[in-house]
Amino acid sequence: MSTFEYGPDSGGRTKGVIIKPIVYGNVAKYFGKKREEDGHTHQWTVYVRPFENEDMSTYVKKINFKLHDSYANQNRVLTKPPYEVTETGWGEFEIVIKIYFQDPNERPVTLYHILKLFQNSPEIVVGKKPVVSEFYEEIVFQEPTVMMHQLLTNIPQLSTSPVKHDADFEEKKVSTLESIVKAKTKVKNELTELKDRLQLAKETIQKFRDEVQNLQLGNPASAQT
Amino acid sequence: MADVLDILELGRPGTPEVTKESIMGTGSQKPKPKYKPKNEVLRKPEGMARELFNLLVNDSKDAAPLFPTDTGKGYKQTKAQLGVRKVRPWKWMPFTNPARKDGAIFHHWRRAADEGKEYPFAKFNKQVHVCSYTDQEYHLLQLDNWTRQETDHLFDLCRQFDLRFTVIQDRWDSVRYSKRSIEDLKERYYDICNILNKARHTTGPEPKNIAYDADNEKRRKEQLKRLFERTSEQVEEEANLLQELRKIEARKKDRERKTQDLQKLITAADSGGSVTGAATEHSPSTHRGTPPDKKQQIRKKNTPFVTPKAKLELLPSVETPSTGIKFPEFKASGVFLRSQRMKLPPSVGQKKSKAIEQMLTELGLELNPMPTEDICQNFNELRSDLVLLYELKLGLSTCEYELQALRHQYEALAPGKTLEIPPSLLSNNDPTIQPEEIPTRPKTLSEVIDIVGTAATPMRKRKAALEQNNMLKKIKNRM
Repeated sequence: MSTFEYGPDSGGRTKGVIIKPIVYGNVAKYFGKKREEDGHTHQWTVYVRPFENEDMSTYVKKINFKLHDSYANQNRVLTKPPYEVTETGWGEFEIVIKIYFQDPNERPVTLYHILKLFQNSPEIVVGKKPVVSEFYEEIVFQEPTVMMHQLLTNIPQLSTSPVKHDADFEEKKVSTLESIVKAKTKVKNELTELKDRLQLAKETIQKFRDEVQNLQLGNPASAQT
Repeated sequence: MADVLDILELGRPGTPEVTKESIMGTGSQKPKPKYKPKNEVLRKPEGMARELFNLLVNDSKDAAPLFPTDTGKGYKQTKAQLGVRKVRPWKWMPFTNPARKDGAIFHHWRRAADEGKEYPFAKFNKQVHVCSYTDQEYHLLQLDNWTRQETDHLFDLCRQFDLRFTVIQDRWDSVRYSKRSIEDLKERYYDICNILNKARHTTGPEPKNIAYDADNEKRRKEQLKRLFERTSEQVEEEANLLQELRKIEARKKDRERKTQDLQKLITAADSGGSVTGAATEHSPSTHRGTPPDKKQQIRKKNTPFVTPKAKLELLPSVETPSTGIKFPEFKASGVFLRSQRMKLPPSVGQKKSKAIEQMLTELGLELNPMPTEDICQNFNELRSDLVLLYELKLGLSTCEYELQALRHQYEALAPGKTLEIPPSLLSNNDPTIQPEEIPTRPKTLSEVIDIVGTAATPMRKRKAALEQNNMLKKIKNRM
């Protein structure tokens, strides 16, 4: 640990933004039957992984997985990779994942993951393929402390083979962005059209109002509008 | 100083306390026990309501007294201050009232010191000056419908009753003279006074005329009489009409306000739409107000994959319209998750967020897409536009109801005639337009929006508009 203090106002922060993409989620596998002794049906693993093949422990101090109350010692703390918890169970619940950083001046961030055990694909139902529920997330270090900056910019790459993510996030990113942009254009066009109609409605209201006022003043009804 | 120390619970200095007892020399001389800070803190028992506990234990943490502490001495004076001065003697004595002309003598109790002084209430006997005229002067005062005798009679009565015209009119000799109203009498009297004042005036500024407008007085009294003689039904009807009028005015104001809101929406849509075509280099960092070059460099170094530039240039940079969603900016230094930027701010109500969800599903988009910087930015802008779309749609439906209401009003005022609403303004479920009038076109997004809570309004509004009409007619008739 550093002996320096990097308080939020001590000026110990660097300019700029560092982004660390991560992937979190769970895999689950059906036993094929209900276990006799405790009624558990699945084995699952909840995890947090770096998106790139690098050593997260350089900047992450620990990760806390808070499981359902019914588990013995529901707070599982992991101080080094792999950051994952493997358990058995029979139900889905929300897991609170809290990531603490090496510099205590950086506040921990919290992820919420709904443990997924069931899916309607036939291969999974029979237990041949595991259920995977995985999400991409980015940790944004806005003006990190000097210590954090040091750690974040000197992350050693892991020599081991990279972890295969469930989805091709790279491709998904491009396609998602594309569809959003497309939707935006569509919405813009509709906005213009709706705005024109609104303008027409406003003018018509004014016209009608004038007509009604004319009548109220006792003038005979003017030509049909 | 002791008070301050008390408040701060610092204990007291050794000097004796100055109290009422110590000054008066009364009360027990027993020294008060020194302030002891109690260390034991009374804990609120489990399950006890906080309010109840606060009644038992106050801030200084000592329990409430068991006996009533109010000794009744408080701010009350203990004894009335009596018998300080010597009594002034009273005496039974006779007096004459100078206001009386007969010099009658009465007796009353009076302070001996005041003996011989004038009767103090005599000064309240005020005399009204009623002017008089000579025979020479009367020729100035001649009037066709007033004889000399009648005028004299009026002035006699004025003198007799001190210008109390109600009494004068009552005592008026209507046998010998024609019947006169109070206004007639007053008019005659004040006219004569004014003429005399003017005639007798020689030097100095012109005397002021006594202003009396008999006609105005007559009208005023007539009005009061009519107001007084209204029946309770009439009073009720008037109150009803006034209330209705107020309602109509409120509705009118409401409509005007809505029109203004609409104008704002249109301007917002305008500003949103005008920049659509401008394909500028999209740089989300500039939105945070820091130099973009530095940030982008860092971003390039650290972002695992940079979307191709061409893609970025496709993105239209749109300023968030005023009526869309205002997403909070993440300016403060520190760590946050990117997905947090996509959270809808609490200002977006449940109805709106539901509508957003509905439209996103219709567009085939995920409700929580992958949180990269570009996606966040575009997704937020998209949702802001969706909210604007929703609001415009809402505004349009209000307009439609307004049009319907106006049409009904028109039909009520001019039977047999109608106003035609442009078909493009009618929602497609309106029964008044024929199905073949609807052009076949793809379903637009705005048609998907389910404007919750507005479906029931049209009938109510139409009815209200009709009622308003009848009311206006009634009011007009009365006037």
